[in-house]
Amino acid sequence: MFSTKRALPEIDTVALVESYSRLLFRVAHSVLRSRAEAEDVVQDVFVRVIERHSSLQTIRDMRVWLVRIAWNLALDRRRRIRPEQMDKSFVENIASNSIPADERMAEAQRMNAVLHEMERLPKVERHILLLSAIEELGTAEMAQIVGRSESAVRALLFRARTRLRERLEARGGGR
Amino acid sequence: MKNAEEAIGKVLAGLRDAEASPDMERHVLAAIEARASQRTYTKSQWAWSVALASMIAASLFFAIVALHRHGQPPTKAQRSALPTEAVVDSQQALLQPHELIASAITPVRAAIYQRKTPPVSVYESMLLRDMRAPSHPAPVAPLTEEEKLLLRAIHTGDPQVIAMLNPEIRAQQEAKSVAEFQKFVE
Repeated sequence: MFSTKRALPEIDTVALVESYSRLLFRVAHSVLRSRAEAEDVVQDVFVRVIERHSSLQTIRDMRVWLVRIAWNLALDRRRRIRPEQMDKSFVENIASNSIPADERMAEAQRMNAVLHEMERLPKVERHILLLSAIEELGTAEMAQIVGRSESAVRALLFRARTRLRERLEARGGGR
Repeated sequence: MKNAEEAIGKVLAGLRDAEASPDMERHVLAAIEARASQRTYTKSQWAWSVALASMIAASLFFAIVALHRHGQPPTKAQRSALPTEAVVDSQQALLQPHELIASAITPVRAAIYQRKTPPVSVYESMLLRDMRAPSHPAPVAPLTEEEKLLLRAIHTGDPQVIAMLNPEIRAQQEAKSVAEFQKFVE
């Protein structure tokens, strides 16, 4: 289908894209909350792979390496866009369609409150919380991505969820 | 408490379950393909640029060397190959008057002088040619009357004529003639 294999005989780029593009999309989407922006990040990740194809053989854990690139590119892109701008369409997508319109509106408000309080969390806690949303990533991988120990990641995750819950309850019980 | 946990879980699930568009992989592969071909093109373009720059640099180098050699005097081997006068004459025969001046300065600077000196007029070239022509003794001037008489007297050897060449004898002779004439008249 594509002749990328000819350009990179030692790395099967097509297989890389097929294996990791969905995971990388979710990583980027957790930061950006925009499908289009997250897809752009995935594309940028694989362009980086092409540019560094000579050093790919030395990479020990391709999966973590790719996730780290996607994570950093998404954080970098986040400085240029405001994720809050994307929250409306994101909340509309996750709000249940099976409930009446007034309840649906209240649920959307609760989601917006959660997203708002998440943004107010300390940076490391917020990052750990977002990474924990991606089920494919274990504690060890999250630790490698954020550069902390596994126990620190577990403590940060617990603290983040506790702080977020407390703030939401203080805000009005998350209702 | 329950509502807050539930809301957090729902938001995290929404982030986890986000799905990319079905065409994402195709777009990514197309972008990679475009990038790879662009890199190949850029590399080949760079190689051609380097080759072209090298050729230009080599041409410039040889041109400078050739110009430098053109401005230099002939080498020892070249000079010894021909007799010195023959070389000088053959070179000077080919040179214009302003080039002759230039060649008279120094061999190294001659080329510079040739390039910088404007050509001279025909009149100036004639003057220069006359000035640079070899010198000859002046032609013999014609004899004066006294010299001719002297020559005649020497060659004939008549003592009376030779005596007349002495001004004292000639004055005595003239005084004697005048006295004889007075005596005759009186």
